[in-house]
Formats: sequence, structure tokens, C-alpha cells
Amino acid sequence: MKTFPQPGVLTLLASIVITCLLLFLFQKMIWFVVPFLLALMLCYCLRPAVSFLMVRGMSHEAAASAVWLLLQITAVVALIAGAFWAMAEAGAWRGDFSHYVSGGQNLIVNSIALIEKKVPPLQEMNLSAQAEQWLGQSSDRFIEKNLLPLTLLALKWLPSILLVPYLAYFMLIDAGRLKKYLIKSVPNAFFERALLLFSRLDESLQSYFQGLLQLTLLDAFFLALGLAALGIHHAIWLGLVTAMLAWIPYIGSLFGAILVVIIAATDFPEKAGVAYACLALFAGVRILDDLVFLPLTIGRKLHFHPVLSVLMLFLGATVAGTTGLVLVLPLFGVVAVVSESVAQVINDPKLKARYKVSRQLAVVAVSKSLQ
Amino acid sequence: MRFFGEDIKAQKVEMLKGVRVFRELSRKEILEVELLLHQRTYEQGEIVFEEGDPGHGIFIILSGKLRADPNCELLKEANLEFGPGELIGELSLFNESPRIATVVAVERTVVVALFQAEFSSLLIKNKSIGVKVLVEIARTLSHRARQLLLGEKHVPSL
Repeated sequence: MKTFPQPGVLTLLASIVITCLLLFLFQKMIWFVVPFLLALMLCYCLRPAVSFLMVRGMSHEAAASAVWLLLQITAVVALIAGAFWAMAEAGAWRGDFSHYVSGGQNLIVNSIALIEKKVPPLQEMNLSAQAEQWLGQSSDRFIEKNLLPLTLLALKWLPSILLVPYLAYFMLIDAGRLKKYLIKSVPNAFFERALLLFSRLDESLQSYFQGLLQLTLLDAFFLALGLAALGIHHAIWLGLVTAMLAWIPYIGSLFGAILVVIIAATDFPEKAGVAYACLALFAGVRILDDLVFLPLTIGRKLHFHPVLSVLMLFLGATVAGTTGLVLVLPLFGVVAVVSESVAQVINDPKLKARYKVSRQLAVVAVSKSLQ
Repeated sequence: MRFFGEDIKAQKVEMLKGVRVFRELSRKEILEVELLLHQRTYEQGEIVFEEGDPGHGIFIILSGKLRADPNCELLKEANLEFGPGELIGELSLFNESPRIATVVAVERTVVVALFQAEFSSLLIKNKSIGVKVLVEIARTLSHRARQLLLGEKHVPSL
């Protein structure tokens, strides 16, 4: 991986402002941005498979079609199997949901009661009883209140999600043609710079998405391993889901930890130690993430200073909430590369002069042809 | 994103087949390479690249004529005009070294450019095409090096 030149302060500020503006816009058309990004991610993740087939003699189009078709068949089989499984287990899931919610409530109430025992002034406030009452009422209303809106939300997102494989297919097949088409409109003077810019963008995005996938798989593996060792049911699924939740920086990991702690508290109501061990496992994987996995995957590939990354995460969350948190780093990576290239062109008097001369020559050529 | 109809595609294949670098490629292989080529048109007097510019790829002339104006003494005597089928900038295909001459269009010239990063990916993904193109580039390089060493009226590598 090449180290790109560091942008100047003005370019950096411009990149930050443009990223925030784009995040604001993206939030308004989230129905398209989400499937587009998922398709882009899918496309970059499928690229190695396409390359693998091309190395073995297939043409680009045939390799891309074969990989896409294989993915579709796998997805359809998985969906059908999932639907049958969901239909068979739906009743049990409803029971499980209530079971795990009450398990989570018990954990909270028991933890507060434990603190009350240790801190006598809190005992007088009777917090555990209040919490028990409040949680009981909330959970009763939760299913009634949220089941229909959640179902409607899922149905609303269905068309967007169905767009993902189609967008990914055309990205795989036609990305090269689209790039040629875009570069065609670049004036001759900036042609090589434009090619370099596209190459860098491609490299940054590929690094980010492939890094994210690697990070998710590493997280999922270590979390599943730890959860299985602690005796938690469905350790592999939980590991995978919580690792994917970590795509939402900070908040996602927190949700993942809460989910696993609730399941642990319900599966082992008499052993509070298991729930605490799960928390310790999450903290351990988080530390491994920050110190080992992130630098090996995403961190090494997107050249951001850690302080800048955290600043961008806060800005992203402020401008566009959870959407901003998820999108801000890859978007900032793209914007930074584009801004840096544009700044280089703007600050290069030779290129500007060449562009002016080229335009004059084109006018002369057209005038001659008309005479 | 199919911007080329079959007729235009066939014309393009024929045109590229006539270029020395691609002469060993089959029709199917030319179509694969065509995806990576960027066609540009330069008006008379227009600069294609300047001496000292970071080089990112080669230019293959389809029609017209280009002239190189090097500062280097060794190349002053050389015949530095390039016509259809010839390639320029091949030294930059292997590393992003600075261009050693300024190249200007003598007349309206159509070229196709092959970018270094795309050529590298071609070498990895499609070795058969990569080797054929590479052999032709190596032939051009050795021919030009030989002319330079023997002091013939040569066309140097740029």
C-alpha cells in the first residue's frame, strides 16, 4: 500500500466541511445511499473472486456474471431455508424474546439490588423496586407498541435492500466502462491526474471495505470462540451479529455487549459471573480490535490520524446521527483523496496553463474546420 | 453502460489489431484490453505530457503524429517523431519515473492511453494478454535501445 502525500491544512478543512455537507445530503436520501453502499461493499468483496476466475482464463464479463450468479443462488437458497426456519420457529422466538427481555430485567434489578446492599444510602431510595416496576411496564408495552412499526419499517426498506444485488452486478460488470466514461469528460491537461485520482479512490475504497470485512470476520471469530467457551447458546450467530453491529462505531459495540449480557443473564440466571465474563470478553475483543486488528485491517489501509478519526466520528454523529457514524470514515477517505488531487491541480500553474492553451487550440481547430 | 454498438466495437477491434503492441492478441483479448484503454484526441500543438511530469502510463498512437522535444543531449540528434502504431512513454509503465521529454502533437492526433495501475492489474488477472503486450513493449524497448547504442538515427524510449 502506497503512502499518499499528506494534505495541507486548508485541504483538510475543505475535506471535513465537504464530508459534513455530503453526510447531511446522504441523510436525506438514505433509501438510496444504504443499498448503494452495501452494493459497493459487496462489489469490492466479490472482486477477489472475479480476479480468481480471470486468472484462470475467464473474461471479465463471464467471471463477474459467474460470481454474481453463484452469490444469487446462495442468497436464494439461504433465504428459502431461512424463511422455512423462521416459520417453524416463529412461535418459539416470541417466547424466547419475552424470556430474554425478562432475563435482562432481572439482571438490571439484581445488579441495582447488589449495589444497594453495598451502598446503604441507596437502599433508602428503593431503586431496585422502582426499576423493576418501570422495566415491567416498559417491556409489556414494548411489543404492543413496536411490533407493527418495526414490521412496516422492514417492509419499507425491502425495495432498497432488493436493489443491492442488482447494483452490485452492474458495479462488477460496468465499473471499468463507467470509469472510462467519466474520464472521457476530463480535459487532456488533467487526464493523467484524473486517472491517478480514480486509481487512488479505488484503492482507498477497496482497502476500507475489504478491511472492514476482515475486521468483522476476526471479531466474529474471537467473540464466538469466547462465547462458546463461556457456554452461551448460539455463540456463532451472536459473534457474527455483534461483530456486524460494530460497523456502527462505539454505539454498535455497546448494543452488541448489552445483547450478549442479556442472553448470558437469561441462560445462567443463577450465575451472574457469566454475564460479567461476557462483558470482560467484549472489553478484551475491543482492546484487541484497537491495538491489533484495526491497525492490521482498516487502520493500516486508511491513513487517518487517530485524533482525526475520532473528531470525524463526532462530527458525523452530530450532522447525521447513526447514519453519520457509519458513513463518516469511508466518506471522509474518498473526499480527502479527491480534495487532495483537486488541490494539487489548482496549485499547479503548469497544468492550468496547459488547459488554457488546449482550449485555445481546440477553438482554432474548430474555426479552421468551419472555414 | 454499453456505449459502443457492435459495429463500432468491431471497428475498434480492427483499429487496435493494427497496432503493433496488440497484434498478437485475439479478438476476445483485444476486447478485454479495450476496457482498459482511454482514447484521447490532441489538437495540433497540444502538449501530451511534459518533461519532468510524473509518468503514469503509455500512449499508443492510432492516427496523427507526435513529436518529442527532449533537453537531453544524447537524444538531440534522434528522429523524434512518432506515427500511427507507435508507442510513447513506455518507460513510465514499469515505474512512475518522470517523463524524459515533452511530447507535442504535430497534427491532430488520436491516441489510446494505458495506465500503469490498470496494466499491472491486467498482468495479474490475465497473464496471457499481459505477456503478449509485455513482449511487444520489450521488443520496442530493445529495438530503440539498440538504435541508440549503435548511434543509428533512432527513436528513443520516453
